[in-house]
Amino acid sequence: MTGVQTSRTESIRRSIKARLKPVAERWGSFSRTRLGSVVARTFSTNAAWIFLLLVVLMFIFNFLAPGKFFTEFNVRSMAENVAVLLVIAVGETFVMATGGIDLSVGYVLLFSGVTSAQVMNWGGKDSTNSGWDVVLLGFVVAIGSGLAWGVLNGLVVAKAKVPALIATLGTLGMSWGLAEILSNGQDLRYLPKIIADMGASRVIFDKVPLVVIVAVLVAAMGGVILSLTKFGRYTLAIGSNQEAARRAGINVDRHLISVYAMSGTLAGLAGFMSLAIFTTTTISGHANDNLQAIAAVVIGGTSLMGGVATVAGTTIGVCIPMVLFSGFTILGYQSFWRDVAVGAVLILAVYTDQLRRRRRERR
Amino acid sequence: MRIRTVIMMGLVLITVAACSSSATTQPSGGPSAAAKAWNLTLIQGVAGDPFYVTMACGAQAEATKEGVNLNVTGGNKWDATVQKPVIDSVTAAHPDGVMVAPDDSKALLAPLKAMSDAGIKVTFVDTKLDDTSFAVSSIATDNLAGGTLAAKTLAQLVGDKGTVLVVNVDPGISTTDARVKGFTDEMKNHPNITVLDVQYTHDDPTAATTITTATLAAHPDLAGVFATNVQNAEGVATGLKQASNTTVKTIAFDAGPKQIEDLNNGIVQGLIAQDPYGIGVAGVQQTVLALNGGSTTATIQTQLAALTKDNVNDPTMQKYLYKASCS
Amino acid sequence: MADPLLQARGIVKSYGHVEALRGCDFEVYPNEIVALIGDNGAGKSTLIKILAGTEQADEGEILLEGHKIHVGSPFEAMRLGIETVYQDLALAPDLDGSANLYLGREVMMPGLLGKLGFLDNRAMRTGARKAFGELGVDLQNAQSAVANLSGGQRQSVAVARSVAWASKVVFLDEPTAALGVIQTARVLETVKRIRDRGVAAVLISHNMRQVLEVADRIEVLRLGRRVARFDGKGATIEQLVSAMTGGLAEEGAA
Repeated sequence: MTGVQTSRTESIRRSIKARLKPVAERWGSFSRTRLGSVVARTFSTNAAWIFLLLVVLMFIFNFLAPGKFFTEFNVRSMAENVAVLLVIAVGETFVMATGGIDLSVGYVLLFSGVTSAQVMNWGGKDSTNSGWDVVLLGFVVAIGSGLAWGVLNGLVVAKAKVPALIATLGTLGMSWGLAEILSNGQDLRYLPKIIADMGASRVIFDKVPLVVIVAVLVAAMGGVILSLTKFGRYTLAIGSNQEAARRAGINVDRHLISVYAMSGTLAGLAGFMSLAIFTTTTISGHANDNLQAIAAVVIGGTSLMGGVATVAGTTIGVCIPMVLFSGFTILGYQSFWRDVAVGAVLILAVYTDQLRRRRRERR
Repeated sequence: MRIRTVIMMGLVLITVAACSSSATTQPSGGPSAAAKAWNLTLIQGVAGDPFYVTMACGAQAEATKEGVNLNVTGGNKWDATVQKPVIDSVTAAHPDGVMVAPDDSKALLAPLKAMSDAGIKVTFVDTKLDDTSFAVSSIATDNLAGGTLAAKTLAQLVGDKGTVLVVNVDPGISTTDARVKGFTDEMKNHPNITVLDVQYTHDDPTAATTITTATLAAHPDLAGVFATNVQNAEGVATGLKQASNTTVKTIAFDAGPKQIEDLNNGIVQGLIAQDPYGIGVAGVQQTVLALNGGSTTATIQTQLAALTKDNVNDPTMQKYLYKASCS
Repeated sequence: MADPLLQARGIVKSYGHVEALRGCDFEVYPNEIVALIGDNGAGKSTLIKILAGTEQADEGEILLEGHKIHVGSPFEAMRLGIETVYQDLALAPDLDGSANLYLGREVMMPGLLGKLGFLDNRAMRTGARKAFGELGVDLQNAQSAVANLSGGQRQSVAVARSVAWASKVVFLDEPTAALGVIQTARVLETVKRIRDRGVAAVLISHNMRQVLEVADRIEVLRLGRRVARFDGKGATIEQLVSAMTGGLAEEGAA
């Protein structure tokens, strides 16, 4: 770079800085106030940066496809299509916060849906006109199935000390196989009308799908638990330094079992929600649910090593692939380009996390 | 850091303002005159499958002929949970007409009904929903007749006796269900042929391979196999090759490039070819007809042909050979 | 001299074929800083682990205030009022100073919220500010993750945590091993304040100068046994090194 060019870029940079300086100083004094420091801390988190990325993406797609991308219909569709994923991603957030991983979520979801549908259609009858009692039973069975698989995962990881990757890979296979056996490889296509109605219904001025409300509630509760309760703090402590947590007197084994149980239970809930949306058990699907959930959690800023995690980040992490998917489809791009884009965002997210870690290790 | 935060917050405010100001309801676009340059989208059952590629070729050719625009899209798996977001996004993009091959006859009722309610003309190509009331037209091969043709051809190939296996995709797919029904119904007329229980592969060729080798192990006297689609056909061929078997006669549905090659090499003995090109053409025709205010045909059944080594090179048969790309 | 606060008699511990401790004795009296020194492999860390409950002795007994005790786990040690600062710190690097201070002993919100599991972060932060302040630990950003602190600050947080909860004895295993001059001085100041609060401190160190500067008494281990005891004021480095390497006769001056 020659001397002339350097001084030109330098003077440009200096003039921008000079013009922003009074704004920055005003901000500086605001950030020292109580409210200001909360805002400042929010913006220094990873969640804030990917939220910005999400906003920028939406802006770009809105610009490229005006009147089509950022419409009430499409925003509602995108939200509905991530609702199920968000529920399992919340569970996955807790698991990954402990430094573990849960690969079984997609097929536990499927298994829970199958058992729920079969119980509701017990005795070979067509449950289409069944009442709330049958629906409630189906719901309980779905949750219970998920809980059972979650507890199994927890026991294998905490007590048998099998690495989580392998343990949940095992339950992935078992739950899938059992789901296939129980259903004889065939979708159950008769479900109570009540459930189908719930899947299609909208609340709050007829605009927000019920499944989205459920997903948002799950995320809200998960976020509160993770950041404000003892359970959440212990989850992060175990991921940060399991030995330290043990030495501090925390019952690490019991806590790990609880966390995996939570993930399984949420997968069970997600299975019931999926029944409501698709009105069938969708046996041929869910192959990539686990990877999508993990990708969402990682994009949201949770560290693969554990110890750092937010549900807010996961919520945004769930939205980014869907925004890319929808935007690319509306613009008419081939499906494979969508996958390339999501893969790239994922790598970028992990790279940023690694950079942050390396920077702090150098101190 | 402080300046960075200021810039970041500024960007957020700008984008939020920009997005909310340009958020509009869908444009109400009604045609003023007939024969406009309509925007059509074809939603394939699964992207990359030669059957649907050929369908897209036919649709594109017809679209060019009629002077309308065509966009082709599809999920990368045959999976209703993958196709739903595609359908919803296409609805948001609001083309004038959509030709769609739904991955499940019940699970996708809601999103496709929403598409129709948004004012988009919906035509079913190949597969369809259980409820076709809101569709412009349903265009498919007469899969029932296809199954019957497959049974007759296979019966002939195995000398009208022996055990045969059916390798299907998933229950609930209208097309393959009809093929199996046609096959098994016809086989009732052939008392010396035993049809084993239908096996399902979820459209996974590896599963088809495993099923084939396992069945051969359990039934060494297996005489014939009927594979209900391209993926299954590929898997069955691999399975037979792995078992070094040359006696089993295979009839497969669909004539993709690999299947033609297998036919010529004697790995497969018969192919029931649909006319996906023709389905694509008819799909565009019916949709444009509906958009221009004409009257459409509710059900159209396209032709099938039985391909063997003997007739595969006939000029009349060329249109039944599927392509991997349009050029 | 008063009765020892914590006493170990005839401790034997083997790991497979290796005899780490062969009949080791140890005492620490109330309100003192006693240094435990010895060459590598002398058994210092092993003895500390046994007294802190992380390991169990094969033979021997431990007495706390004259009563025989069995320290079956670190949790039991904590309940008995014994805290340990390990060489690897045992801090959760992603949590902040106050979270680490209160780890395992969180303050809950009053009433129903507390029963539901909600943490009283404000109370903990206030308590942490006080605890760190009393021990001279200065954290500019109290809500920053502990991993963002310098090595010395992290060490101080670990020491402050043990001091905050210990009622009887604090064990410090090489607390200044990786620190620079200023940070070492700060940590040693903190250690002195432990004694001033009425808690006894046991310091393992390889640094003879540090030991002489801070310790009231010095106990020397060699090959799994106690071989010498020195008074902090009169001892010289040569005497200490001699005892560590076997130059002096066994059990010399008191």
